[in-house]
Amino acid sequence: MATDEIGLVVRDLTVAYSGVPAVRGIDLDVPAGHAIGLIGPNGAGKSSALLAIMGAVPHGGSVQVNGEAVDGLAPERVVRRGVSLVPEGRHVFAGLSVKDNLRLGAVGRRSSDGVAETLDYVVTLFPILAEFRDRQAGLLSGGQQQQLAIGRALMADPDILMLDEPSLGLSPTAVDSVFDALATIREAGKAVLVVEQRAEFTVAFCERTHVLHDGVITMTLKPEDATNVQVLTEAYFG
Amino acid sequence: MNQLIQSLVDAISAGATLGLAALAIGLVFGVIRLANFAQGEIITASAYSIIFTWQLGWYVAIPIAILIGVILSLLMEVGVFSRMRMATPATLLVASFGLSFLLQRVYELFFGNNVRTAPVAPELAQSLEIGGIRVQLLSVATIIIAAVILVALVQFLNRSIWGLQLQAAAADFRIARLVGIPASRVIGLSFALSGILAAAVAFVSTVKTGAVGPPFGVPIVILALIGAVIGGIDKIYGALAGGFLVGFATSMLASWLPSDMSNFRDAYVFLLVIIVLIFRPSGLLVRGGTVRT
Repeated sequence: MATDEIGLVVRDLTVAYSGVPAVRGIDLDVPAGHAIGLIGPNGAGKSSALLAIMGAVPHGGSVQVNGEAVDGLAPERVVRRGVSLVPEGRHVFAGLSVKDNLRLGAVGRRSSDGVAETLDYVVTLFPILAEFRDRQAGLLSGGQQQQLAIGRALMADPDILMLDEPSLGLSPTAVDSVFDALATIREAGKAVLVVEQRAEFTVAFCERTHVLHDGVITMTLKPEDATNVQVLTEAYFG
Repeated sequence: MNQLIQSLVDAISAGATLGLAALAIGLVFGVIRLANFAQGEIITASAYSIIFTWQLGWYVAIPIAILIGVILSLLMEVGVFSRMRMATPATLLVASFGLSFLLQRVYELFFGNNVRTAPVAPELAQSLEIGGIRVQLLSVATIIIAAVILVALVQFLNRSIWGLQLQAAAADFRIARLVGIPASRVIGLSFALSGILAAAVAFVSTVKTGAVGPPFGVPIVILALIGAVIGGIDKIYGALAGGFLVGFATSMLASWLPSDMSNFRDAYVFLLVIIVLIFRPSGLLVRGGTVRT
């Protein structure tokens, strides 16, 4: 497989709930080693787009992972094609230990080789997960749970990592450490798609950030726009 | 004193049996929101097979009973419930009622309306004297069997990667699939385990009665379902504890109610259930009071 094929390509994606459109035809390109942002107000269709890519909600249009269509596949099959989602609200398995949460993440791997190496990578990225390996996940702080949720997603060894509002409910330092980790993950050659409400942060971090309004992309921003208050305000309020 | 201990041992044994039956229901409910009333007919199928094969030796009869429980349970999933994935829990429950009635008629057709009998493990029908106190050997054996099964199941759920996947799916099925846990695998696993538990319940029940007819599993599954609900059916260990409580209470009432009132034993059990459900609608052992939707 040619390197330039690694990544996520989405064309004319549509999602509707009982006939009411939530996503109305968006295109996304998330190449390896890049971070792409998706921002917009509540109800703009950001989460719907991610769930559609995962196969968790029915969608129109096409989704290609590493050059192959994944449309119509169940979420657990999409994971095996190399896409992992860190869901909104983290949703770690609260009753299970940190270690067992990570073991479960590895269930979605394409190959059972290299689990130990991936685990090493994850605990290097988030040392706290090694320290608290036997602790119940529900007893971790919000920031630690977010690290665990990302670690669990990485255990599937994805080419494409998608995150739904990773900063939600976290302290500023916890947000910093999450984005530091995302920078490392991007440098390691993964494609990163991040949905956020925090516009400034996301625009500064991502190579491109799309603004989603009522299910369509209304604007695409570059990192240098992050300091331009006028552009950001316009992006949000049209 | 002697009588109290006897009745306690019997009650713990009855609780252990219903606990296993309720656990079987809770395992499946946790994953696909199905309260499987036809679990009773899986118990009946295993019980028939024990009656028919016991003469070949326990080492033949018990594996066959387990095999039949697992196969019938998986057939229910493949043949009926897997075709209803989008159905609500209420629809699934009604479908399981229908399946239960259908299977009872099928048993009637093949084995007749009368009970089939065989002396299953008659050596367990004796009583045992420990320190001057006489207890039923079967009650003690039931408690030991239930304890062994529970320890094995807990080890499986907490240590094996399959058991962890089942726990994850029971905690949040949608998230489990997004993490990469295959839906069909965990659903099949929950049905297979509930088939094994049905065979265990069938064994201790056939030793007790020595007779099996088409409605054999119905009274067991009714009490087990009630137990699962009052314990918290969507929590695996809640269902287990609820089943135990119902079995324990039923047996204690049978021992201690005056004989002219013991006909109404089940009425007292249901009264307790109503009281529990009024005050703890989502189950005795579920923290908080919210009903999960």
